[in-house]
Amino acid sequence: MRGWKRGVMIAVMREWRAPLVWGGLLIAFCLAMGELEPFYRLIEPDSRRVIYDRADFLTLLWRHLTVVGIASFFAIMIGVTAAVLVTRPAGRDFLPLVAQLASMGQTFPPVAVLALAVPVLGFGGVPIVVALLLYGLLPIVRNTLAGLEGIDASVLESARGMGMGRMQILAQVELPLAFPVILAGIRTSVTVNIATAALGATVGASNLGDPIISGIVNANTAYVVQGALLIGLLALTVDSLFARLQP
Amino acid sequence: MIELFEVTKRFANETAVDGISLRVETGELCALVGTSGCGKSTTLRMINRLIEHTAGEIHLDGHPVRTFNEQELRRRIGYAIQSTGLFPHWSVARNIGLVPRLLKWPKARVAERVEELMDLLGLPMAQFADKYPHQLSGGQAQRVGVARALAADPDILLMDEPFGALDPITRETLQVELRALQARLHKTIVFVTHDMDEALLLADRLVVMRAGRIIQQGTPLELLRSPVDDFVASMLGGENRGLKEAALTPVSERMLPLSPRLISRSRVGRDATLHQALAVMFREHADRLTVVDDDEMPVGELSLRRLVGAGREE
Ligand SMILES: Nc1ncnc2c1ncn2[C@@H]1O[C@H](COP(=O)(O)OP(=O)(O)O)[C@@H](O)[C@H]1O
Ligand SMILES: [Mg+2]
Repeated sequence: MRGWKRGVMIAVMREWRAPLVWGGLLIAFCLAMGELEPFYRLIEPDSRRVIYDRADFLTLLWRHLTVVGIASFFAIMIGVTAAVLVTRPAGRDFLPLVAQLASMGQTFPPVAVLALAVPVLGFGGVPIVVALLLYGLLPIVRNTLAGLEGIDASVLESARGMGMGRMQILAQVELPLAFPVILAGIRTSVTVNIATAALGATVGASNLGDPIISGIVNANTAYVVQGALLIGLLALTVDSLFARLQP
Repeated sequence: MIELFEVTKRFANETAVDGISLRVETGELCALVGTSGCGKSTTLRMINRLIEHTAGEIHLDGHPVRTFNEQELRRRIGYAIQSTGLFPHWSVARNIGLVPRLLKWPKARVAERVEELMDLLGLPMAQFADKYPHQLSGGQAQRVGVARALAADPDILLMDEPFGALDPITRETLQVELRALQARLHKTIVFVTHDMDEALLLADRLVVMRAGRIIQQGTPLELLRSPVDDFVASMLGGENRGLKEAALTPVSERMLPLSPRLISRSRVGRDATLHQALAVMFREHADRLTVVDDDEMPVGELSLRRLVGAGREE
């Protein structure tokens, strides 16, 4: 019995190896950054402090995840809904507009979104969530459109011909068939936003961007390395999770 | 029974179907034939309202199709198309069970029906039930498509070039099977094809279309014997249509009682076609055949003159 349980454990570990490894490293670095002090001392021999200590890294990680999580949740809801609406007969007229916005928006730098959001929304967590949401919307809309438009027309014709209703076709045929492409869009959106969220530190939303911004302001490269390292590990963890979900 | 009265379909800038009238009796297979773009598919899809007709009336068993709820109407009509339109993310069994599930049949009854249909279409349950469409050959996928169309036991079946994309051998196999199936099930079938041989083999009623209009309709033999114009004649194979007529006429229709004076050693079955009888004559250099029944007992004779329809008074 015990051997059987171990077997399952090993199988799970093997399947989820990449996210487990990256996630483990991420947590380990958050908890034990202090142990690496001699190393950071090498980078930054003259500074008084070499380990960022204005907040502990786990807290920063948690805030980072919260911001990205909230923004991504709304980006997925809004993005998928918008793409679904403009591919319905009633919304078709808006399809070219939305498709164009989705591909154009990607070229718009997130810093600019932030710069525009702050005067309207003030400092803190809200503008960064809005900026991430807007920025993260685009790959999701684009991929959902591509996924839905890419479905073989004969499949949809036979679905209608068999007497399925519109909602049935959407839920049982279109979304499942478009799912891999939609998921790829969400993956891009989330991983890009993990990096972009660091900008939140510039508008007073504290997260893993803090050490980076603070490092830049105080000319402390060690801080920058710590922030960048954790953000990088977080992005790798999440990306490998998506890779695992991709059918 | 399906009836079309002066049915027209206009798209934005063209008239795809132009005032056609047609009546398909219950249990009859009606083949719509014509060159590509002549409005066959449009006609078919107006029957299950995938396309709404612009003018005229379409009746099923005397009721205008417009009076039905669209979805309920389609669940009562089987629909099979050339590209199958099977759901790629569903197994064969799930694909076949689609309409019964839409009709909220109990689970057990759906499963039973799926098994029955897979059996009917020569798809062994053990081998195919859990396969996905991309794992099927073209012929197998088309069988699944037909099984799905038949799943809820509809009275009416609409088929749009169902065998059009198959290799000639598979196509012929499926044609023969469909004919056998139809002989058992007696569905009312509208069958679109651009393959005249397929139409001649399957149809009880043949409808030749051109540019959105019906040029001629009737039984295959009626059309073969008296095409209304050169277009219909050439659709039917030009000079070759004589042989096609022979292929539709059974030997029993032309044979004479056995005459004692000369019993030919060359034989042909009573149920064979004149086309086959001709082939035997050609192969065996005989101008006279003995017609035999299933037990190889002579029941009549057929001369070349009789076969070609000359000297009926002989
Ligand atoms: N949805 C549509 N919109 C506009 N024109 C169409 C549409 N469907 C078919 N047509 C036109 O109607 C004509 C008949 O088409 P169709 O019925 O598909 O022909 P067939 O099945 O005989 O090849 C064609 O000229 C085609 O271009
Ligand atoms: Mg067609």
